Amino acid sequence: MQLDRTPCVLGEEARSLVKEAKILVVGAGGIGCEVLKNLALSGFQDIEIIDLDTIDVSNLNRQFLFRKEHVGKPKAVVARETILGYNPDIKVKAYHDSITSQEYGVNFFKQFSLVLNALDNRAARNHVNRMCLAADIPLIESGTAGYSGQVELIKKGVTQCYECQPKPTQKTYPGCTIRNTPSEPVHCIVWAKHLFNQLFGEEDPDQDVSPDSEDPEAKTEDGHSMTDTGNVKRISTRQWAQEIDYNPTQLFNKFFFEDIEYLLKMENLWKSRKPPVPIKWEEATTDGEKTEVKDDDNIKNTDMKVWSINKCAQVFAKTVDVLKKELSGRNFLVWDKDDQPGMDFVTACANIRSHIFSIQMQSKFSTKSIAGSIIPAIATANAIVAGLVVLHAFRALQEQYERCSAVYLRRKSKFSKFVLAADNELQKANPVCYVCSPKPFVNVFVNTNTMTVKEFENEILKKQLNMIAPDVVLDGKFVVVISSEEGETQANDNKTLVEMSVVEGTVLKCDDFLQNYELQIAVNHYEAKEKDDPLFKVAVNPEDLKAKEDIKNGGANGKKEENHDEDSDDEPTIVENPPEDPQEGSSSKRRKLNPPEDSDDDLIVLDEIIE
Amino acid sequence: MSEQSLSAVEAELYDRQIRLWGIESQEKLRAANVLLINCRGLGCEIAKNILLSGINSLTVLDDSLVTEEEQIKNFFLTKESIGKKLAEAILPKAQSLNPLVKITADCENPVEKNANFFEAFTIIITTGIKTDLVLKLDKICRINKVKLISGDVFGMFGFSVADFLNHEYYEDRVQMLPKKRTQDGSVKTTIQVKGQIDYPELNKVLIFPNTKQSIDAIKKSNRRNGLFFLMLTLLEFRNENGRNPQISTKTDDIEKLKIIKKSIVGLYKISTSIFEDSLFEQSFGEVVPVCAILGGVIAQEVIKAVSHKEITINNIFLLDPVTFNGKEECVGA
Ligand SMILES: [Zn+2]
Repeated sequence: MQLDRTPCVLGEEARSLVKEAKILVVGAGGIGCEVLKNLALSGFQDIEIIDLDTIDVSNLNRQFLFRKEHVGKPKAVVARETILGYNPDIKVKAYHDSITSQEYGVNFFKQFSLVLNALDNRAARNHVNRMCLAADIPLIESGTAGYSGQVELIKKGVTQCYECQPKPTQKTYPGCTIRNTPSEPVHCIVWAKHLFNQLFGEEDPDQDVSPDSEDPEAKTEDGHSMTDTGNVKRISTRQWAQEIDYNPTQLFNKFFFEDIEYLLKMENLWKSRKPPVPIKWEEATTDGEKTEVKDDDNIKNTDMKVWSINKCAQVFAKTVDVLKKELSGRNFLVWDKDDQPGMDFVTACANIRSHIFSIQMQSKFSTKSIAGSIIPAIATANAIVAGLVVLHAFRALQEQYERCSAVYLRRKSKFSKFVLAADNELQKANPVCYVCSPKPFVNVFVNTNTMTVKEFENEILKKQLNMIAPDVVLDGKFVVVISSEEGETQANDNKTLVEMSVVEGTVLKCDDFLQNYELQIAVNHYEAKEKDDPLFKVAVNPEDLKAKEDIKNGGANGKKEENHDEDSDDEPTIVENPPEDPQEGSSSKRRKLNPPEDSDDDLIVLDEIIE
Repeated sequence: MSEQSLSAVEAELYDRQIRLWGIESQEKLRAANVLLINCRGLGCEIAKNILLSGINSLTVLDDSLVTEEEQIKNFFLTKESIGKKLAEAILPKAQSLNPLVKITADCENPVEKNANFFEAFTIIITTGIKTDLVLKLDKICRINKVKLISGDVFGMFGFSVADFLNHEYYEDRVQMLPKKRTQDGSVKTTIQVKGQIDYPELNKVLIFPNTKQSIDAIKKSNRRNGLFFLMLTLLEFRNENGRNPQISTKTDDIEKLKIIKKSIVGLYKISTSIFEDSLFEQSFGEVVPVCAILGGVIAQEVIKAVSHKEITINNIFLLDPVTFNGKEECVGA
């Protein structure tokens, strides 16, 4: 006879629910591996896993279903094999695929008793949220970042959904800060990545690295900008670099001497700032000891130490040469934090610029964290959160939803006794949520004169509103603006919104068939006035746009914070910012406890961080 | 392995955690020698997490033979392991988690070990043992400056008790400095803050009726987290019966637990309402996801204790089986 693996404390009814349940685990990364192990050892007998990723060496310190010989293989497939080793008598199906693919429609989701999210990015979380709402299947959402994490039940009509509260957007940096007046290492790192793209990457006019003479701060009293007196070259950086055959000395002197000299002429910028100090190749390379640039195995010397200016200059020259060769025969290179020449180039350039602006220089190791937006991840936090996910699953299967309030894992602090802090009750849905309310509605603010239909589809409907394949008609007029059928509305793609009669006050009916999601969009004509204004905005209530700023500076995901420290009799609260909390600069008195919601793993490309 | 020079291979493998706790912590971890007493449901979770973290060596001391019941909840075991010595049976799968760690199996009874066996370790972790052995180990550990953490899972309930001696730690704090220059916001710097926790000896923490321990150490009992007394009751059950409560003898065991509870609340002069008797119903078996939670918490405490990075829990951790709150409770200080 088979031994019963279901926990005996659950009671007969719950134990048979566990045995009969069919579970979908979305993501087989850090949390996913732990969840799958817990399911297989807790008597679940029918499990499906979906993950698009393949296994990387840097996963192995926590994604314990995988071993070194599995590097390069699909996570879902290897995870399946390993948990079948724990319990060969269960049914496990693996999909090496994206959950946002058209194949996984509402009917696919409907076959499950429960969906467990173990994802690492917001777009996929939003999508699964909508699929589970549409299929009316309970979803347990989870995430970790460093020592922190959280688990939360999402159930249509019972709790809030994943998109009920506006999520804080990535920190952005104004263009003039990057180009003219950097004051933090990250500004120089962003600039260095832009420089990479200007020289070797896909050209993007928004990633200019030269001094910005339109900087409002640089304007003189009589309102003149410096454009007409400037010596900014009119040909593109790329063109010029090719003309001089990527001569490192000339490149160096342009970016770190001539451009800086030009910046110094914008005197207004330096009235209350320390002016930058331009540096020439000759000076940089004679400064200090002559260091050899060589690879060795001692990580402390190569990656952990801050390089000298001389070493930066040497690395600059060496990597420019390597990248130039890589570029030949190709249109452009794509920067990747794990690609050594590109990473070395960014480290060198960011540090030279930091030196010029008297900003603290950074090791390659720290530069990589910032440039690659790496969220640190550890096995223990994933194990704890995955344990909570499956404890929630036991309750959700019994429809004891009210016993599934959110639980937060926190970095231990001197000022609180809580390591795990549970909400006292479920978070209720936002009645005007543009996803889960009965009649979803949202305002968009776009320049209807210049934005094309294609841009509207990609930037607003797909990137901002997370639709996969939207159909859009003009409300009441049956004019199809965008169709999800291939080619059907291609003729509209390059038309501006105005040309399609989409103007101030127009209401668009959007429908995403895959997500079974209908949304009414009210179009507002809007033109960015200030240089650093966003190009477009999305909000349920226009007033929310103001409030958004506060959310960004305050609580992690805009949720009201349960006050768990009331009963502690120790010290008073102080302002403190844990290093892993991306909401640094928070003005709140009490330390915010919700973890950042982007989770377990890797990376948001830095490009999203900029404007 | 020496504490110096992390190789490029290690740096790549441990990249995501080094970015959290720093390379110095990683170097201290890779010099640590850890003893784990008993590698069952909770033990295998702890072993997994500390093996992944990259310690120098792990010794597993467990004198049991693998039963079928054990095999189905221990991911280091297979059906072929049944009947074999557990400490040896876990080796292949444990080692495959991290080939860089030296793992040793020891199948002797921990009670019969000489004191000097325990001296060589940086930290000792125990699960599923009786309190008198925990207290005996604590005495040995105190003499030899070895850290100790002991934990258990009873059904949906779990806890850990630590003695990290006079423990010094560092933590990073981000400070915002007001900026003199214009509108660019404030400048942040990271500073290292040093702290120290003086842990009480465990004989001032784990105090039961009918023992010779000093009653003076019982203080502030009314304000204690009620789960502390649930913990004492369950531990005393094991001390008296030589086993954990079993579902097959549920009714009898709950009666025994109620009697033990009565003597404990009498000793501490508190009301029986300090925790609900219904929690006893939740205390049977070793629930896998609860083992995962406690295994994560205990391994994280081991990592912090060994690396001296981040503040540790002082000195008891209690997981609430109903709300899932997990709180620190400082007892005996
Ligand atoms: Zn919602």
